[in-house]
Amino acid sequence: MKKAVVLVVLIAAMAFAGTAMAATLNQKNTGCGLGSMLFAEQNGLASQTFAVTTNGTFGNGTFGITSGTSNCEKPASFSSNQKLQEFVADNMDNLARDIARGNGEYLNTLAVLAGVPEGSRSEFYSRLQANFSSIYTSEKVTHVEVLKNIEPLVTYL
Amino acid sequence: MMKKKGMPPCASGRIPFLFALLFILALSCGDASGQPAASADVLVRKARGLGLAQDPYWLTLLHYKPGIAGRRSLVDDPRFFLSPSGNRDPSAEMDATLHAFLQPAGDDEAAHPVCRFVARFAWLKERLALDETKLPVPECRRFNNILRDIRPSSVSLIFPAAHINSPASMFGHTLLTVDTAHGSRLLAWAINYTAVTTETFGPLFAVKGLFGLYPGYFSMMPYYTKLQEYNDIEQRDIWEYRLNFTRDEITRLLMHAYEMDHIRSDYYFFDENCSYVLFFLLDAGRPGLRLTDECRPWVIPLDTVRLVQQNGLVVDTAWRPSRASRVRSLASLLPQQERLAARSVALGESRAQRLTGPDVAQEHRTVTADLAAEYLQYRYAKKEVPSDAFNERFLQILGERSRMGGAGKGDYEIPAPPRPDQGHLSNRLSFGGGVRENDSFIEMGIRPAYHGLMDDDSGYVEGSQIIFTGIGLRYSFETERLMLQNVDLIDIVSISPRGDFFQPVSWKVRTGLARKPGEDGMDHLVYDLTAGAGLAWDIPLLGLFYVMGEVEGDLGGRSEERWALGSGGSAGVLRSIDGTWKIHAFARDVYYALGDRHNALELSFQAGFACRANGSLTAGVTWKRSYGVRDTEGTLSWNLFF
Repeated sequence: MKKAVVLVVLIAAMAFAGTAMAATLNQKNTGCGLGSMLFAEQNGLASQTFAVTTNGTFGNGTFGITSGTSNCEKPASFSSNQKLQEFVADNMDNLARDIARGNGEYLNTLAVLAGVPEGSRSEFYSRLQANFSSIYTSEKVTHVEVLKNIEPLVTYL
Repeated sequence: MMKKKGMPPCASGRIPFLFALLFILALSCGDASGQPAASADVLVRKARGLGLAQDPYWLTLLHYKPGIAGRRSLVDDPRFFLSPSGNRDPSAEMDATLHAFLQPAGDDEAAHPVCRFVARFAWLKERLALDETKLPVPECRRFNNILRDIRPSSVSLIFPAAHINSPASMFGHTLLTVDTAHGSRLLAWAINYTAVTTETFGPLFAVKGLFGLYPGYFSMMPYYTKLQEYNDIEQRDIWEYRLNFTRDEITRLLMHAYEMDHIRSDYYFFDENCSYVLFFLLDAGRPGLRLTDECRPWVIPLDTVRLVQQNGLVVDTAWRPSRASRVRSLASLLPQQERLAARSVALGESRAQRLTGPDVAQEHRTVTADLAAEYLQYRYAKKEVPSDAFNERFLQILGERSRMGGAGKGDYEIPAPPRPDQGHLSNRLSFGGGVRENDSFIEMGIRPAYHGLMDDDSGYVEGSQIIFTGIGLRYSFETERLMLQNVDLIDIVSISPRGDFFQPVSWKVRTGLARKPGEDGMDHLVYDLTAGAGLAWDIPLLGLFYVMGEVEGDLGGRSEERWALGSGGSAGVLRSIDGTWKIHAFARDVYYALGDRHNALELSFQAGFACRANGSLTAGVTWKRSYGVRDTEGTLSWNLFF
């Protein structure tokens, strides 16, 4: 009897700890357009594990080792600026929101990566905001098009 | 090597020709390939003379720790050791490492030991004053290129706080970020140590995790991907603790992370977990630091944050609100009408044009539009909006927002809540006493983790409780006996209020041993398992009000069947006053329809007073009726957190 109780208790404890520790598994990036978040298949309560697909620490030593952009089309705009491309592809939603609002960390990072000097940034932000609808032309817009639409706004600063 | 050792000293001029020839041959061989081996022996002797194999830094780099069966390395990957006995023997590993450094360079420089073990190499080079120009592989160019690409400027310990509605996540996770000189925190590198698995079945995952059956690996990714994971998807606020590591120390930290790449250490949830193994990187970064020795055997991530602080490593802290916290904060800036407009637009019940319509005041337009956008993102992350609907609605809202102007103003300043590391400590010791009918008693209890409903909420989530392995003992003056009163294996409660933007389900789960009144009117120890779910609202003046439906199963006791299964419910009010007082009043009624049929009703009033940072007083009065027997109990206890 006592043994059975102990056993039940142990199993229950572990089962619970399991759901407590069960974590984000099988993350996948669903694309390169808007709404392409890095979704977790199982939304665990605590994150102690990660997807098998994102292992490897230093990979090839370049920036977006785990980004979902490896399958995406490579844009001609900012073609030598791989960090910028990957950043835009990986953060489409948050960047769109910051551009519409004219402030925020994602917008600031875009300016950093695009090499916009600090003195010109507020003008850059106003210009992007004013041109929001010509940057995000449709709900099917991809990061390639976004970059292509942003490029002329950087050039004339 | 052996040959060299056995070579006779060259003293006589009358060496036979054959021997002379052999000697010359041996010398010429030595010139061609044996020279490095000779230097290796010299290096080994020098290292032994300096006692380097027992140097704390060497023990850190190899993850050696004392164990039950003597010292062994916590790394379980044979590729991490150059000597076959390297996982147990620091000296053998040292000798093998020094020999390996002098191996001729192969086609792939990155596979050479100098490049595979960059941190070991850097340290031994310095301690043994190696002249790298005389080495076959003088430096690891691949690592140097990576370092140049990262341009590290500072390192931070990152602590994602608990989900608001899942107290178990308080156990949490920690990771490191290495800031780059690029000038944006989003572009920092996040370094994680995690178990790698595709297991999705919770219980199996837990059992395997407890026994170290999952491999743990380091991983590195852009910080923004971790922000998406924690802030945007899991809705966890993130605390950042910037450490006072110098450029050299960060380089050493990265060197060690580099040599740990693709190296397996078995992952144990409670001790060799994310937070513990991460400390090897910090210890490797700053020689003399021994964080991995200061950890308790039960490693709670938040405690590791405190440990880093106690070691004087933290320069400053920052808070990153989750999407849900941002929504909550923006909503608090608006009157009810605008709040509902934002919600309705985000849910697609009204068109985005409503944001500029008559029911949104001019001065509230930008905040309303920002709230609508963030709330839509929140719903999308919760998978409550399909992706094509999200894209369309999101662009419409943002289109409206972009026409409102106001660029370059700066982001919202959302006030940070109290820091989790400043909340009460994780372990609790209680002493108390009380009266029950004609009896009086004294009791004590210990609870290694973590936070109770009546404990001070500062730094924790209000309305949450997470208790693991609490034990209570009681000495009764009437029976003159010391008895086990309760064993709380797991006791978790999440009371989470519903509002315009969030509609969480409150829940609780408990299992353990508890002393309960039986049919004979006496108390007996029974094993119980309880689960409940319900709703809660934050009612002004009253507090957090909740109702829950519950099921409970009991096993043991002295009654006829020795088991009982029942269902019922509870309702209560939880309220904090001034941040120091807390009261909880509740009623709970359970009908056991199976097994030992009976009814148990409980009415209770509890009060807690946080008297200092890590002390509190709790008092309570409880009235119970079980098997028709009534009794009343009053308790008072003093709690010390440590």
